[in-house]
Amino acid sequence: MDAHDHKIDDPPTMHDVDNPAKVFTVYLVVLGLALANIGLSVAGLGSISLPVQLAIGSVQAFLVAWYWMHLRRKDTVVTLTAVTSLFFVFIFYVLVLSDVLTRQGGGL
Amino acid sequence: MSASTHSPVLKHHFDNLEQQHSAERLGMWMFLVTEVLFFSGLFVSYTIYRHFFPAEFAFASSHLILWIAGLNTVLLITSSLTMTLAIRAAQLGQKKPLINYLLLTFALGAGFMGFKAFEYYTDIHEKLVPGEVFRTEYAKAVEHEAHASAATKKDHEEHIEHWAEELAKHNKGKELGQDGYISPEKVQLFLMFYWIMTAIHGIHILAGLGCIGWLVQQAACNKIPRENYSTVEVVSLYWHLVDMIWLFLMPLLYLAGAGMKGH
Repeated sequence: MDAHDHKIDDPPTMHDVDNPAKVFTVYLVVLGLALANIGLSVAGLGSISLPVQLAIGSVQAFLVAWYWMHLRRKDTVVTLTAVTSLFFVFIFYVLVLSDVLTRQGGGL
Repeated sequence: MSASTHSPVLKHHFDNLEQQHSAERLGMWMFLVTEVLFFSGLFVSYTIYRHFFPAEFAFASSHLILWIAGLNTVLLITSSLTMTLAIRAAQLGQKKPLINYLLLTFALGAGFMGFKAFEYYTDIHEKLVPGEVFRTEYAKAVEHEAHASAATKKDHEEHIEHWAEELAKHNKGKELGQDGYISPEKVQLFLMFYWIMTAIHGIHILAGLGCIGWLVQQAACNKIPRENYSTVEVVSLYWHLVDMIWLFLMPLLYLAGAGMKGH
């Protein structure tokens, strides 16, 4: 943890106070992506609509996690915890879908 | 002795405030991992059923209220912005802006729940609820499609909800399992996902609102000094996760059939 690098005489760390300009930029980008998601869906992308929607959602989630949830601070244990959750979700998806989608007969 | 070792905020088992803040953040992140895994179960189930029943999911989704979902998305993203600004105010020791940003976040979250309540009310009124209500409405529409004369049809149309009439018309002359048949049972399956996922998300919003209310009270009583900003940050982590989950729920539930509108 970063705490080990912190000297006991140091004042509370303020190096990670957010820059308002950056906070608002992230807001506009996340909002813009949400509107793009709606716009693209109404336009009708057919079979690729779901992957596109999830990709946009993932970019939005990354921006929120990186900037607003402060993963950018590179607190190693916190980053590892966040990445671990994604890894577990990945395993969950792969194992369940590889079973269900490869069943003989192709049904549930 | 240093300011950090003398701080009343510092718990005795931590060396310094930075270590304490890191531990608090890590504790919340561990909790968020369990939340992610909890919701991923719902998302995996949804993915499987949508894969097998795309037409039914698109049909049901096209009858949800997209403008409310869009507006609620704007409200939640904006609430995440104000929450982030609240952390900044806490870090800078600005009590009044902190309280204002927290109140704004609370108002935006409450607005989300208000629109959600209106949406639920409309869905119930339109009988978009899986179970007996749905089956009865659909059976009425099928009966009407099969027997009513053109004259009585016009009169009856005013009493049948739009989705049931549309589904009955679509399925007229088609057999169960035939290409193009939209199964009412699978439409209800989508509605189950819709109600369960949005309700669980709504409960999380309510819990977040409770935490934000508590933060306002703490800030008003001067219990969130500058060196204790992580109290706000820990709640904000939870709030951002709830926001993030909505960013996936919105397209999965509301945009699955957006291209179908008016077909």
